[in-house]
Amino acid sequence: MLKAIYFRLTSLNLGLWLMTGVMVTLALGSFSSASSEQGGLNDMPLLFWLQRAPLGYSWWLWLCVACIAVLFVNALICSIDALRRKGRSVAPHLMHAGFLLIVLAHLLSAYGGLKQQMQLPQGDSFSFPDGERAVVESITGQVGPMGMMSGYRAELRLSDGLHAVQPNQPFFHKGYGIYVKDVALSPVPVALFEVHKEPGALTAFIGALLFTVGNLMLLAQRKGR
Amino acid sequence: MKWLLITSALLYVASIRRPIFVAALGCSLAYLASRGMGLGRLPLIGPQDTLAFFSGALGLMGLPFIYSRQTAGVRWFCWGCGALAGLFAALALPFPTINMPLPPILDTYWFELHVALAFFAYALFGIAALLGVAFLQGGGKPALDLQYRAALVGYSFFSLSMVAGGIWGYYAWGTYWLWTAKELWTSILWIFYSLYLHLRLKGQAWERGFAWLGIVGFLVTLFTYLGVSMLMRSSHSF
Repeated sequence: MLKAIYFRLTSLNLGLWLMTGVMVTLALGSFSSASSEQGGLNDMPLLFWLQRAPLGYSWWLWLCVACIAVLFVNALICSIDALRRKGRSVAPHLMHAGFLLIVLAHLLSAYGGLKQQMQLPQGDSFSFPDGERAVVESITGQVGPMGMMSGYRAELRLSDGLHAVQPNQPFFHKGYGIYVKDVALSPVPVALFEVHKEPGALTAFIGALLFTVGNLMLLAQRKGR
Repeated sequence: MKWLLITSALLYVASIRRPIFVAALGCSLAYLASRGMGLGRLPLIGPQDTLAFFSGALGLMGLPFIYSRQTAGVRWFCWGCGALAGLFAALALPFPTINMPLPPILDTYWFELHVALAFFAYALFGIAALLGVAFLQGGGKPALDLQYRAALVGYSFFSLSMVAGGIWGYYAWGTYWLWTAKELWTSILWIFYSLYLHLRLKGQAWERGFAWLGIVGFLVTLFTYLGVSMLMRSSHSF
């Protein structure tokens, strides 16, 4: 019986059906108000959202997670099974490993992620979850020719000195990223900050690297065939 | 310089021979270069620029395929690639150009890399769809092999685009993933082509299904690019 389950789990057909399942559930979810910008799905870690959201609202995501969980096992066992046989290319399995790491990364972020938003005027301060305080030393911005902000930055003072935060250049402190999202210069300089914790980021990056290496190897192997 | 875009659209639609296609591509690239030099960045914001970029990407990615020996027997293939590129150049024409500087959050190479690679991938998925039609019309195994290659290279570009988008998102928004309609459809498109590439392992019995899947993939691509932007609210809408 165990052998039958193993063969079922390594089956290509199962993988194809699961991929179809993930696509269908994501497509249905894309029309759900849960995935809209007001749906709250991006405001908290996924697992917290899933625990709180009514099933009528989140069913598509539960189904999707279930399909991905089985697809994870399918890809893992399929790669182990193929690598046990000699003479097989490792390229597709590096891609599988990349995919598996990216799924794990999502799981890590879904469980341990954090997002906090705050609007602070110049001179105000906030505390990190570890207790360290950051003071907003300065908020500056440049207004472009069309009246829109063409650039802005904030300077934060922590115990180890002054740190600048600007768009696309967050400041990282003990696993937390501080992002400046928007700035208003009058009547007093005010900035909208976000503190993020994304525990899966490094795992996702390593997964993406593995996937890319495998993909390039596959392209090189297919070249000229 | 809009005349360059108009000329490229007309030449693409008339590209029954390869030199006409090359001339159309030249006009298309010259238009994109002039826009890029005027803006000081890649023209990738707004429907006009993205449609023109997509048209140029279709021409650029189609070039090696129209010169391939394997498509020599498919007489309409050069015109097919041209018509597809011409269609998107023509669709770009009614939209106004957006000449504003990039908002600070988009002002990074990761964003440009993310979008440019996505359009190269979309273009290759479009060419794969045409090769699927060629196979179904009796183009033989060479057309199907080329379809696989176009889709595989497109899939590689698309995967790299997703990686670049994830890195950009992490530095810009604080997360490499957001639950929005665009991200969901991007994932659907990526999984669709993952399924397509896995289906090849099923062998010859699935050749027609494989060709059809290459055609359907381009419809999913178009919905991901245009449908989501027009029908759904997302941070990716233009």
